Order: sequence, then structure tokens, then C-alpha cells
Amino acid sequence: MAEVVLKNISKYFGDHKVIDQINLNIQTGEFVTLLGPSGCGKTTLLRMIAGLESIDEGELLIDGKRYNSIPAQNRSIAMVFQSYALFPHMNVRNNILFGLRIKKKADHEMFEKLQWVIPLLGLEGLEYRLPKQISGGQRQRVALARALVLDPEVLLLDEPLSNLDTALREMAMEELKRIHRTVGKTIIYVSHNQAEAMSMSERIAVLNAGTLEQYETPSGLYEQPKTSFVAEFIGSPAANMFDGELIHDNKDVYLESEIGTVYFDKERASAIRELIGRKFIISIRPQDIHFFKDYIPRRTSDTKLTVKVEFIVNMGDRNLVVGRTSRNVPVRFLITHDDEMTVGDEVSVIIDGRKIHLFDPDTKQNIFMM
Amino acid sequence: MRPVRKIPRSKYKTVIWMCGIVIVLIFILVPVYLLVKYSISDTASINTGGSPVPLWPYHPTLRCFIYLFQDFEFWGVVLNSFIIAISTVALSMALGVPASYVLARQQIPGKKIILLSLISIRLFPDISSVIPVATFFIKINVHSSLFGVILAHTLLSLPYVIFIGVSAFENIPRDIEEQATVMGANGFQIFFRILLPLAVPGLVAAAIYTFLLSWDEFIFAHFLLHPSGRLLTLTLYLKQKLTFQPPQNLLAAISVCLSIPVIIFTLLVQRQMISGITMGSVK
Repeated sequence: MAEVVLKNISKYFGDHKVIDQINLNIQTGEFVTLLGPSGCGKTTLLRMIAGLESIDEGELLIDGKRYNSIPAQNRSIAMVFQSYALFPHMNVRNNILFGLRIKKKADHEMFEKLQWVIPLLGLEGLEYRLPKQISGGQRQRVALARALVLDPEVLLLDEPLSNLDTALREMAMEELKRIHRTVGKTIIYVSHNQAEAMSMSERIAVLNAGTLEQYETPSGLYEQPKTSFVAEFIGSPAANMFDGELIHDNKDVYLESEIGTVYFDKERASAIRELIGRKFIISIRPQDIHFFKDYIPRRTSDTKLTVKVEFIVNMGDRNLVVGRTSRNVPVRFLITHDDEMTVGDEVSVIIDGRKIHLFDPDTKQNIFMM
Repeated sequence: MRPVRKIPRSKYKTVIWMCGIVIVLIFILVPVYLLVKYSISDTASINTGGSPVPLWPYHPTLRCFIYLFQDFEFWGVVLNSFIIAISTVALSMALGVPASYVLARQQIPGKKIILLSLISIRLFPDISSVIPVATFFIKINVHSSLFGVILAHTLLSLPYVIFIGVSAFENIPRDIEEQATVMGANGFQIFFRILLPLAVPGLVAAAIYTFLLSWDEFIFAHFLLHPSGRLLTLTLYLKQKLTFQPPQNLLAAISVCLSIPVIIFTLLVQRQMISGITMGSVK
């Protein structure tokens, strides 16, 4: 069991800084996801923790011990690769036992580990099959079993579910959560899939272009995005982003934006008056734009907006509507299947001003969190 | 209206392909047929006294083979060839496999240049490199010995072994190696337990290729062994017999003996090449 601490970690590929001053504190037994778009450096960071990539700057501490120069072989870390990397010439049993054999464990210990891990991951009856003779989901479980028997301090998972189909992935996600509860290992998980990250992790580190955008719980990320990148990246469908300016007239403070006047909940910002006249990026989630058939404005923070429906996308449980304002700006919002709406309709929607976020266009920081 | 085609275009293509295949097969099989035919011919079927040579001998006979197999010298020659070929394989693999692993997997400056200069050794015709090699071998006193031939054949086969080996190692996904590293395996363990077993199909192909190269090599064997005249390989034996103008059927029988291992090993190569052992490990 171990606490993983990353202190100002940086990494260069040539002159290019791929990891920029990342600080992370992962507690013992925590399930943390490194989330970000492809090329953001999440896999590189994971490989640095594993010891497969060198750490150019900063410190990696596991249980307080400096790990920078400890070779990968000697780290008490197990890793599951995106490709699973099963040894193709060994059957499932030998794949699982490989690490224990390398560590020269006694036969009875290896036997006990097998007895424990095979039912845990539902691999009964597959012990003597070769990797090419089992399915993708089974390979993923073998890869996980192979990591678990080593009893590592930290378990690293590099997009282990990305090669599975949706149904299998959901099953595997539940299984992974169950295993995490059973074994209580510190797990660092890499994903580009926010739904996966949100549903499994205790905390998520959102990475973008080698920098850490925010390190928070899933609901924290959703409710309080620290940067405009997080606001746009977390949540599905993607948030609406508009440019706007904070205006103060005699009686009220509001935003003047691409989609017109937007009211919001002023109490959230402590020193709102100091920001008057400044420009902001306004983020509004599609979930926070509501369509009511009979509209009665209730709060002063509500904004009424009229849009022309451009198209409607069925999202399964709800419909996503893309509308255009009179100034031809696209606005995305969600309606239920019961709401009657057809393409070309002029509809009125209400923006919930309590849920909008404002970001500084230069620093991209959320002004409500400053 | 367009005239109705009786045979669709695809059928024409098939016919053309078939013709091509038949022509290629004729080119390959006719010499084999001639070789086998002559080796089992009786004298009357060869010296026909003016009438055309028959397509199949009048009285097929294994006389030449029986003669060969009873010849003590022939067995000695086969043994020599075999020892040389097997030793060449062993030496080439012992040198080539580690070299190809290092070239495939380690960061080495000028890797491309090394590979290129290795293969360029084989760009020179054997006949032009044999004199300096023979001269050098006389100097270091490995001339007129089986070891000298083994060394020379290793020289010939090593570039191929390394090339095949490099691609065999390069084809193994790096993930597998890194996975073993993370699991605690050191370089030797990774090489012997993971990489070597996975490279086996390619390496076996290289070994068999080396065997064949050595088995029917003539020029180097000729220059390195001939003067003494006591040590002979199969190819040299054939050449020696040729100078005495023996009957064609005996020559053909020697040639068949020379070819049999080639055919057997080629079949083995195919089987090894087809086995896709890495399938299913990654994705």
C-alpha cells in the first residue's frame, strides 16, 4: 500500500516539453484517473511512474521514498498495457505466473495466488489456453490477473478497456471497481474517455498539453471546473462556450455576449464589481439550458433565449437540440423525448444562471474559483 | 446494344493466371524431372545411338544410387558436407542472433550504416571475394580444413542471419518487453524467456537458409579445400566426378542426393514461416 506523490515532474522529448511541472498527490488505496485528449501526455506520465520513461525534472515519491532512479524492474508497481501485452507463447497460467517465477516465489505461494486470482477474475477453465485462443475481454482479465498476483503497491492501467466493445466495457468497468474494493490497491488509470473516468475514479487529474488542468473528484470537476478546458472537456454533450463582457448598469450586473444578455448568480463571485468591463469566456452546459412549454421566469438569474432549431440528435435517453440564435450562434441543449419540437421551430429556452461559469480569456481560469 | 459476353472478364483473368502458373511450374519442374529421370536411367536410355532420348527410361534402375551408397568415399563426402553445414548453422546463429537482437532493440549509433555494410558484403560476387579470403585463411592457417570452410560459410550466411534476425526481433511488440520489465525481469530473462521464443520462427528460417547455403556452396569450398584433394564436400565430389566424364546417370544421382536435403528443409521452412505465433498477443 502506498501513497504516490509527483512533485514538479517534467519530461522532454528532444526540445519539446511533453510533461510540464505536474504535481499530484495520490493517496493509499485511491483510484485516480489521468484523463485527457490523445497526446496530452497521460500515458507518458504513467510510463514515468512505471519507470519506462525517465523523469527529467522533479521527483516521484512512493511512500515517501524517492523513486526517480529506481529501475522499472525494482519498482513495486504493476502495469496493464492498452494492448494487454500478453506473452503469446505462454498459456494463461504461465502468463499469470511469469512475474512470480521471475521473483523466484515458492511453488505453494504461486499455487495460492492462482487459486485466489483465477476465480476473482473469472478465468476458470482458461488456464491452459494461449492468448490467441481467448476473447478480448478474457485477455484483458488475464492482463489484470497477471498484475494483481504480483501484489504491487501501485497498479497502473493504461486504457485497458479501450479495445473492448461497449457492453463488455461496462461489465469490465464494474468488475474493475469491484476488484479495487476487494484488493484496495492504489490504482492509477489512464483514459481519454470521461464517462469511464467519471464512473470509476475517486479523483481525476485532467491533463491538457502536458499540464495538469485540475485534480478533483468527478462531481467537483463537473460542478466547479477550474479552467475553460475542463469545462469543455468534462460533461457530455460538450458545454456551450461563448465570448462575453461583464456589464454594470444602474441597477444590475449582467453579461453581454454573443447570444445576447445573460444573467447569472452574482453571489458566487466575491468581488464581482472589480471585474466590470472585463471580457470572459462563458461556459453553459447543455444540461443547464431548459426548455419549458409554459415559461414562467422564476429567478433573477434566469435568462430567456430564443433559438431556431437547426437539428435534433437522439442521444438515447434524451434528445440533443442544436439551435441558432438570431445572431446565428449555435446553442446546444437537451430536451426529453416527450418535448414536441421540430426542425425550424422558434423556441424559447431558459439558461440557469446559477450554473454558468466564467473564465478569464487569457489565463483560462474560472473566476468564481479565484 | 452491347454484345453479350460469353465469358465474364474475371474468367479471362483466371485463365491467364492459370497459364502463367503452368509456365512457371514447367520451368521449375522440368529440370527436376530431367534430374530424376537421368538418375534412374539405364545406359541404353542415355546412349540411344541416334534415336531420340525417351521421356522415361526403358528400364528404370536404382543402380547408380546403389553404386553411390556402396562407395565409402561418397559417405565421407556427405559427412563432410553435413558437418560443415551444421557447424556453419551453429556458428552463424551463435554470432548472428545476439547481434541481431542488439541491432534490433538497443540504441546504437550508426545502426543503419552497420546493417547496410553487413548486407553489402554480399553485394560482391563470391568469385571476387574468394581470393582474398583464401589468402587470408592461408595466413591464419585455417586453409585446407573443415574449420576454414565453416568459417567462410559463416561469413557468407551471417548477413542473412542478422537481417532475418533483426526483422524477427523488431516484429515483437515493445509492449511485451516493457511488460516483462515492469514485472521484474532483467535483460537476460527477457531475452531468453520472452524474445527468443517469440523470434524462433524467423530464426529457424534463418538457420535452415544457412544450412542450405552451406550445403550446396561450391566456390569457397573449392578454393579452400581443393589443393589437398583429400577433404571433399558433395559439390566438390560432383566436380571431381565431372572431370572424369562419368556416365550422366551417375552425375544425376549425385545431384539428387545433393538436392534431397534442400527439398526437405524447404518444406520445413514453409511450415515454420506460416506459424503466426505472435498473433493474439497484442489486441
